[in-house]
Amino acid sequence: MLQGALAGLAAGGVYAVIAVCLTLMAQLVKVINFSQAAIGMFGAFIAVMFAEADVPQGLAVFLGILCGVVLSGLIGWIIATWLPEASISARSAVTVASLLLLISMSYILFGTKPKTFRAIFPGPAFEVGGVVVSQVTVVMVALAIVVAIAAKVVLSKTGVGTTLRAIADRPVAAELMGVPVKPFAIGVWLVTGLIVAVAIAIVAPTQTSDAASLSLLVIPASAAALVGGFRRLDLAVIGGLGLGMLQGATAQFPELSLVRDWIPLVLIVVFLLWNQRKEVWDAAR
Amino acid sequence: MPLVDTLFRSRRISPLVFGVVAVLVAFALSALLPTYLVYLAITAIVATIALLGLGIVTGTAGMIALCQLTFAAVGAWIVSLFTVLDVPGGYILWLVAGGVVAGLAGVVIGLPALRLRGVNLAVVTLGFAAAADATLLKTQFPGAPQGTKVPRPEGFLDDRGFFFFCAIVLVVIAVAVHYLQRSRFGSGWRSVAFSERGTASAGTSVRLAKLSAFAVSAAIAGIAGGLIAGQVGTAYPAGFSTIQSLALYVLAIVSGAYLIEMAVFGGILWVLIPELLKRFGIPQDWGFVVFGALGIQALTTNSNLGQDLRNALTKRRHRRGAGTSTGLVPLSDEAFEASLQASGSGSGSGKPLLTVTGLSVSFGQVKALQNVDLTVDEGAIVGLIGPNGAGKSTFVDAVAGFLPQHEGTVRLGGDALDGLPPHKRARLGLRRTFQQDRVPPSLTVGDYVAFIARGEAEPVAIAEVLAFIGCPPASTRIVNVDVGTRRLVEVAANLAAKPRLLVLDEPAAGLSHEEHVAFGQRLRMIPARYGTSILIIEHDLDLVRSVCSSITVLNFGAVLASGSQETVMNDPEVLKAYMGETEML
Repeated sequence: MLQGALAGLAAGGVYAVIAVCLTLMAQLVKVINFSQAAIGMFGAFIAVMFAEADVPQGLAVFLGILCGVVLSGLIGWIIATWLPEASISARSAVTVASLLLLISMSYILFGTKPKTFRAIFPGPAFEVGGVVVSQVTVVMVALAIVVAIAAKVVLSKTGVGTTLRAIADRPVAAELMGVPVKPFAIGVWLVTGLIVAVAIAIVAPTQTSDAASLSLLVIPASAAALVGGFRRLDLAVIGGLGLGMLQGATAQFPELSLVRDWIPLVLIVVFLLWNQRKEVWDAAR
Repeated sequence: MPLVDTLFRSRRISPLVFGVVAVLVAFALSALLPTYLVYLAITAIVATIALLGLGIVTGTAGMIALCQLTFAAVGAWIVSLFTVLDVPGGYILWLVAGGVVAGLAGVVIGLPALRLRGVNLAVVTLGFAAAADATLLKTQFPGAPQGTKVPRPEGFLDDRGFFFFCAIVLVVIAVAVHYLQRSRFGSGWRSVAFSERGTASAGTSVRLAKLSAFAVSAAIAGIAGGLIAGQVGTAYPAGFSTIQSLALYVLAIVSGAYLIEMAVFGGILWVLIPELLKRFGIPQDWGFVVFGALGIQALTTNSNLGQDLRNALTKRRHRRGAGTSTGLVPLSDEAFEASLQASGSGSGSGKPLLTVTGLSVSFGQVKALQNVDLTVDEGAIVGLIGPNGAGKSTFVDAVAGFLPQHEGTVRLGGDALDGLPPHKRARLGLRRTFQQDRVPPSLTVGDYVAFIARGEAEPVAIAEVLAFIGCPPASTRIVNVDVGTRRLVEVAANLAAKPRLLVLDEPAAGLSHEEHVAFGQRLRMIPARYGTSILIIEHDLDLVRSVCSSITVLNFGAVLASGSQETVMNDPEVLKAYMGETEML
């Protein structure tokens, strides 16, 4: 049980990282980015492509991550340019289309077979009570926590953070005050693209690494983000790690293999209902 | 439906006749299509059916649903299971059963999603699609490991026959969807897509509207799934993957699948694009890349092929000279006096209709309303006035049922309204209009009035009330009506519902002076003409003076003055609240 839970912690770490990015996007640029994980997936596949072409691993990974950043910025630019004042649904629908585009594009460029990734952090880190904890797990959990804390600090303590929150709350007012709203919005996309690309590059070697599975990491991640109501970064991290451990623990029981696939959905439904228990009407008045 | 509509209206072809013609065409096609196209054509038809269902959720009811092929998989699963179990009844009955079970699955998925809006539903449905996908990969469809074949219906055994069968199913579903969209259900779906508050105020349950849209969509998908099982014989999970559900959603957006002929077009695209790519030796995955790119284009420009076509068509119809509105014109003094004489004035019968006692509403520490009492007599027109932020709209929201946490009691005639949701209050005869535009632009004026009136109004009555308030004719599409006039349409529609009490929240904003005068005259005629009492919230004191017999003034959430028009209007406290202290000096 413990072994399973700890094994699931690496996946939990990646859920947590993506959940943090989803929360930041929902708060700062008003979008639920369904292509969040797909962006990272695409970057990771590009890295593999370069690695297969005998580019040194470090450089290949760098190029892959760069590609993820550019892609994220591109989608952000499209949304910031054409849908600056659209509803969160309309914006998010665009990311559904880009999710479809990215997955099918990766089928074309990289084939439909799962890829073999060379691990960036190979091997075990340490043992707890006879259970081995891998380096990837340690790195992912650390990354999730660091990203959440860094985002929190930047948003609450720095001038850039204040500007970002101003843009999030009143984009028009911020624009009238001379804040360059669009570059800031695209900046948020670039940063989340970077974080996710790094996370997926690290975790891809340990996951089922075909395009669809990696892209649909966004589902457990949004379950985790919902634990924090798409608002609280700390709860998003806890939700992600918890979900990963829960899935890891259930993986120990083969008879639960069907149930395991439904855990994220159940979590999503439960937390949506909880978060919206008081919200009844669509508009304030 | 515009193309279909145009055909029906201009050449008087009923949808049923259209359906029969479509079946005949399908029969001809089933005989004439080249063999290699028949199988593809079946796929196109099945995709069309799934898109028709999806169009209801995404296009008509405005929700994002990403699990259409999962519902199809439910239908296919039932048909496969019934094949293995050899359930009596045969393929056609199994197909229906598949639809029913998929519809039930839609209810189960939709129930928690009922309170959720667009983007949350997207998360839930994507999660459902992925979970079901993973499960199906592990369990496979019943009978699939043994290679059990789903039997096609007797008489439609070969591909050509089965094509004809699928076409018949498509026509039946398309005609049903057409009638559903034109029904009150369909108007409810459109209304809920535009405004949940507006829908509830029309006496339609928001939950039911959303759930019915979702369930109908899922049931249609289930039937499509059953057809897929019949088409391929043995269903495999690869045909129902999450990615394909995503692609189908995007295609529904691109084509505008809530329009029936556009769903057909979408279904054709579904097979045509991959097929063309194959012809040119391009990997078929480019098909979904094309869909994705088209989807981004359609979503960012908020347009789709169907809507573009529809706009082009209506523009042409407009140029041919559609009916024009007479506008809201004041009656001459004599004519107005005469009609008032005929109908009696609006000072009320003295019998209380709306009785509000001790109404208090607080938002956190802010007390928006404190201990407000207000009475509207039967047949009276009562004004509720007060400076900005006095709590007038909060009062309306509380009375209409949008603020269930309020204190105090609200009675309408003999009925206690406390604790009732807005749509129940509306059904008891309490209607309200909104300050903001809550008239769904996708309907025509006539459909909107019929929807708001909940079957209370015949076409003649609708035309009469529209003319009375000076609205455009029933066939006008609301999208072509300016916002000020939409407010009038809203008033007319709520009048057509013949409510006991109509609460108007700043109805005259956006009207010209002349229209103001005319609107005031019409208001005074309403109680006698429609048996409706009126509570009107208005900033324009001229209008209030000209129509209201008694007035209540709110200031800072409390009643400042209440009584007959003269007393209230001459109350120094009221003048102070309105004009400010300095003006009084």
